[in-house]
Formats: sequence, C-alpha cells, structure tokens
Amino acid sequence: MSSDQNLSADVVIVGSGVAGSSIANELVRAGISVIVLEAGPRVDRQHFVENFRNLENKPSYQGPFPSTPWAPHPPNQQSPNKYLHTTGPDAEAYQQAYLRLMGGTTWHWAGCAWRYLPSDFELKTRYGQGRDWALSYDDLEPFYYQAEVMMGVCGPDPSVEDLGSPRKQPYPMEALPLSYAGEQFRKLITEKTPWRIVHEPQARNTRPYDGRPTCEGHNNCMPICPIGAMYNGSYSVYHAEAAGAKFIPNAVVYKIERDAANKKVTAVHYYDPDKGSHRVSGKYFVIAAHCIETAKLLLLSADEQSPDGVANSSGHVGRNMMDHTGVQVTFISGDKALWPGRGPLETNVIDNFRDGSWRNERGAYLVHMVDDNQVDFATQLAISKGYVGRELEEQIRYLASHTVRLFSHNEALPDPENRLTLSKTEKDVLGIPHPEVYYKLPQYTVRSCDHTRSVFKQLIHLMHGTDEEWTPGYFPQDHPSGSTIMGVAPKDSVVDGHCRTHDHENLFIASSSVFSTVGTGNITLTVAAIALRVADTLKKELLHG
Amino acid sequence: MTQERRSPVAGSWRASPNAIKLNQSMRLMRRDVLLSGIGALAAWGGASAAPALDTVPPPVPAVDPGLARFMDVSHCLTDRTELDSAVGAALYAGMVQAKPERTAQIATLYDLKAKYRLITAAELAKAAEKADKALKETIHDIMIGWYRGVAGGKVVVYRTALMFDITKDAIYPKTYAAGGPFYWTTKPPEVARPTGLPALSPSPFVVEPT
Repeated sequence: MSSDQNLSADVVIVGSGVAGSSIANELVRAGISVIVLEAGPRVDRQHFVENFRNLENKPSYQGPFPSTPWAPHPPNQQSPNKYLHTTGPDAEAYQQAYLRLMGGTTWHWAGCAWRYLPSDFELKTRYGQGRDWALSYDDLEPFYYQAEVMMGVCGPDPSVEDLGSPRKQPYPMEALPLSYAGEQFRKLITEKTPWRIVHEPQARNTRPYDGRPTCEGHNNCMPICPIGAMYNGSYSVYHAEAAGAKFIPNAVVYKIERDAANKKVTAVHYYDPDKGSHRVSGKYFVIAAHCIETAKLLLLSADEQSPDGVANSSGHVGRNMMDHTGVQVTFISGDKALWPGRGPLETNVIDNFRDGSWRNERGAYLVHMVDDNQVDFATQLAISKGYVGRELEEQIRYLASHTVRLFSHNEALPDPENRLTLSKTEKDVLGIPHPEVYYKLPQYTVRSCDHTRSVFKQLIHLMHGTDEEWTPGYFPQDHPSGSTIMGVAPKDSVVDGHCRTHDHENLFIASSSVFSTVGTGNITLTVAAIALRVADTLKKELLHG
Repeated sequence: MTQERRSPVAGSWRASPNAIKLNQSMRLMRRDVLLSGIGALAAWGGASAAPALDTVPPPVPAVDPGLARFMDVSHCLTDRTELDSAVGAALYAGMVQAKPERTAQIATLYDLKAKYRLITAAELAKAAEKADKALKETIHDIMIGWYRGVAGGKVVVYRTALMFDITKDAIYPKTYAAGGPFYWTTKPPEVARPTGLPALSPSPFVVEPT
C-alpha cells in the first residue's frame, strides 16, 4: 500500500531523541523547514510516572515504557531478548536498553553530562589503541557548551575542580550539592586513598532553568524524573515544535531512496502503524535514530544500487559496536549510616581512571557510588534472610541505610568483528527484521574491568563491607556506539568529521553510532554536541550555499 | 503537507505494566480495590457481576472470615496492633487470586496462633515453619504484601507500603520527595546494628533482572 501524500522539507530527520530534536530546533529557528519522523508514539511524562509507581520490579528501567508493536524496543536487558538479539561469547554484555518514543531514550537517563577528554579523540595517536576521531576536542568545544546551555547542565567551577576537559565558559548552573552519602564517600576517598571524588556534571537544574523546576531529589532520574527538573529530548521536541518544526509520530522509516547516481538521497519512506507507506522528500537528510536503529535502517535500505546497505561502501555499517561495559558490586557497609537514595541518583564520581599512560594496554573507566534508594532492596533481602515482625523492621532500616552499590563505565575499542546485522528469522509486525549483534569483549576492556574489580575490593575493605554481591560477568551500560564509525578514510569509515556520510553528500548521521572510540562518561552530551555541529553545517550550507 | 495519518491501533496504545499482566476487566478495577475497603475482595474477583449502584442500595458489608483471619495473622506477623483494613483487603484478595491455596494456609497460621497462644511474629513464624515448611512461603507473601505493598506480583500500594513508613524519618519513596531542593545534604538518622535474629530459615535472594 502506498499513499499519495507528498511530504517535503528542507531537512528531513529520522529520530526525535536528543540529536534529532535539537537539530530540528536549531534549523527551524534559522528559517529552515524541518520534518522529523519518529517511529514511536508521542508520550506524556505523567503516564510513565504512573506506570513506574505501579511497577513491581522498580529497578527495571524499561518497565514503565512498553513499546508499540510497530516500533518495538528491547523490553528489558535479559538474554535472550524479544527484540535485540545478541550473540557471541559476551552476548549478555551487549544487551542494551533503549526507547523508541517521541523524545528518545533520555526519558530514562541519569542526566550525567560528561564532556570527553581531549585524549579520548586521539586514542590511536596518544596510546596506539583503537582509532582517532576525524575531529578534535577543540572542534567540538563550542558545541559542547551549546549543548550544555541547551540541556541546562550544572557542574563544578573548573578553577576549583578541573574535570580535564578545557572550558571557555563556566557551566550554565552551579554544581549539584553532594548528598550526605556522597559527602561521606568523598571524605573516605580523600582521606584514605590516592583518588578523588568530583561533582558529576549533570543536565539537571540547580535553579529554575528553561521553564523547568529545580531538582527536588525524587531519586528517580531513571526511569523517569517526575517533575522535569532533568533535561530530556522531549524538551527539544517541544521547543522545535513551538518554532514550527513538524514532528510525525508512529512513522517507521524503512527505506532511504537515492538518485540515479547514488550520490544524493532524494527521500525516505516510512510505514504508519497500519503499514501505509509514505514518502518524504528533502534537500538534506539526517539519520538520528540511535546507534542500533540507525545502522539497522542503513542496512535495511540495501538495494541494487547499494547491495550492502546505504552509506556502506566501506562495509563498516553495523561494525565496531562499542559500549561502556561495566562492573557492579553491592555490599553492606560496616560504617555509619549513609541512607543512599536521598537526592538525585548519581552525583559523585571517582575520575582518576579516565586517563593515563596505562591506556596503551587497558581501557579507561570511571566509578559511581550510586545514590539509589535501597529500601525496597533491603526489604526483599531481609525477608529472604527469614526476618519477620519487629526484627524485620530493624533489618530493613539497617540494610537500607548501609547498602552501597558501586559500578563502573569501562572503555571499549572499535572491533569490526563486533557487528550488528539484520535478523534472518525475527521480524516485527511491519515485516522489518529485528537487530542482531555479535559481541566479544575486547581484551582492552576485560583488563580495564579486572582493574576496576581490584579497586572495588579496596573500597569494600575500607568501608568494612560484608555481604558482597557481584553482578555476574559484565553488564551493559546502554551506551551503544560505533555502528556508523567516523573516520578520515572512506575505505574504513562511514562518516567524515562533520558526520556527513562518505557515500552520499546530503546524508548526515547524528548519533553515538559515529563515535570512533567511546572514552568514559555517559555519551549523551557528546551526542548532543555532535548533533549541534551537524545543525551548524546544515545551516551554513542551506543559508549560505 | 498533509495531516498526520491516525491509526486506531496507535490511538489505543496506553498499556501500563500492571495492565499488561491483567485482563481488561481487572485493569479497570485496581484503583477501586484500593478505595473500596471491605468490598475489595469482590472487586478483585471481578466486579462486573455486581449490580449497579444507582439501582440497588449498597449491601451491608459482611465480614469475610478469610479476610478476618488474614488480618489477625498479619497483626501478629508484623508485631503491629494497627494495620490498614482497606489495604489488607486488597492484599488478601491479590494473594488469594494469585494462589488460591493461600486461603487454607492462612487459616492454618490462624489456628496455630490460637492453639499455642502465640503472641509475637517470631513465635508464629517459627511454629509455622516447624509445622509445615510450605508455610514459610505464605509468610513471605504476607511480609511482601505489607512491607512492599505487593500481592500476586502486582503493586497494591506503593507510597503507603510499610517499608516506607518505617524509614520515613530518613528517606522518601521514589517520585514522592517532599523535602525541597537540596534536602539530601542534611544528616540522616544513625541506625544501630540490629541484634534480633531471623525466625525463618534463609531463602535464596533472587534479584529480579532488569
């Protein structure tokens, strides 16, 4: 079935997450017409807050966000999975969670807004590992700041607490004060280790900002901030729509059409939930559909002109899959009560392992002491231990006030063998294949995780910890990247330093899929900065030829 | 440009986690369960059979003996003299709906308590596990119900679950913080290491996967 609709705009964007919506907002405010196609539905915050409150398994970040049949996303992080099928020796370590909804996956993120370090862009040059990006930190610095202003990022004064990423302007908002638990952890680290605790930069309001309130510490940044004190992509959607951008929900793009020369994209085609087909033409196209869905779409668009998929003359579309695969341990502190879970989820970080000469042999990482409310965990644990009545209540209070959880983000490397392909057996209701990912942890990451475990053991000892529960193996951190990797050479990369595909001059990609390496720290701010740089390029070309 | 095509399928998408597990009639009733107190048991079982309120005067509520036993056992197992009867009715209904054998098991707990004149939670729990190992799981269900607010794998109450009542001097339930910005910098109460012992044998602690 094909409709006779003829949708057209200067720029057509696939995906309404942070990247797609922020590009739309920038362009439409410069007088450029924009259509954004979002596979999932439009959603409202309170619906998902209610879903969360009714969810029995509260730590399930995907739980409050059931997907639609026409735009499925992983229902959970379990293997085997009903949507994202992972294989290989470390399949479970790549069981990513993400959302296909208007506003994107930042409906559930912790708001951690790290800039990468200058060295993260030059891993090959400095340490002989991985690749260099086709852009430098200095290229991205102005867009990092623009992204911080857009999101509303709070962070420390660099003259007091230098996070290693040079800044030309201060953070838009003052840093979030550490919780009592975070402050006690900071004292311990300062007094008894050679390391340090820093305030994590966060897209979270420490004062009213952009029409959103100050954070009230509901401790539910993931899966859903109940009051909107934390930025998510929906706010860029609202701003862009207010300025005239057109967002179409439930529009599942399944084909990228090119001209006869296969040099320019002419249109994208999408299915509505009833599989009615629609064509949307434009001058420029941006795929901003999340690392996994972006690669999936390019592969799905294979035809006689591009038998291996669109923008894939290098054969690297879907390859080089990376993440911040982590280590996690939960234990009971033998020291004074901490009561984690008072305030936002993540406020403090040990950042000593983000860079060093050792990166020539093992990956970098950072460490979070998670400020997560442990009352429910404590209750389940105490009941399983056999407590009832008054003794149960005493145990719940003790465990809730003394449970500590540490986790790390460990750096991966791009390996072409870690590859996303289209499932040959599993399809959604529209007939679109599910994504499948083969994953084997790079030894670089394994050595990094080994180092992390040794650090965690030291911390447990310092806190007189007992009842250690190590999350088995390695766990995914939902920071997939690399599937349309950036590089200078068209023979071994998909996009150039401006995120323009080597193969198609008017096709850009704005996603963590372009990352050449994955550094440390959450990826979202870098995604936003790259997206704003794409918007800048498009403005220059559309407005000034 | 043309209007967005609206799909009836798209319009009906509003599933919630509980709704996914429940059928349509059950989905409509959960809130009523919480509000109706003594009528909760009927509601959980399917209120569609109940007559419309505008045509028939409300019946005089009869005390369900199973529910009465559940409340008595619950008071004992929580070492509390006061528990919310509306919440108790909803918990009992959910528990029995998920596992019908709970009715008889709760009756057994009730009889044990009366027969041996057991007063404390620990006394009843120990006697129950000694009498029948299967009763340990029943006691776990009752503890999970009152302290986590969950019955039959579904949330009956969240904010008012007892686990939050006993920690309210230190911490808020997620999404319900009321201390104002930066309340989290203040010092929370110290908690002494408990000296009480478990009454039941330990069970494997299974963390639900995310």
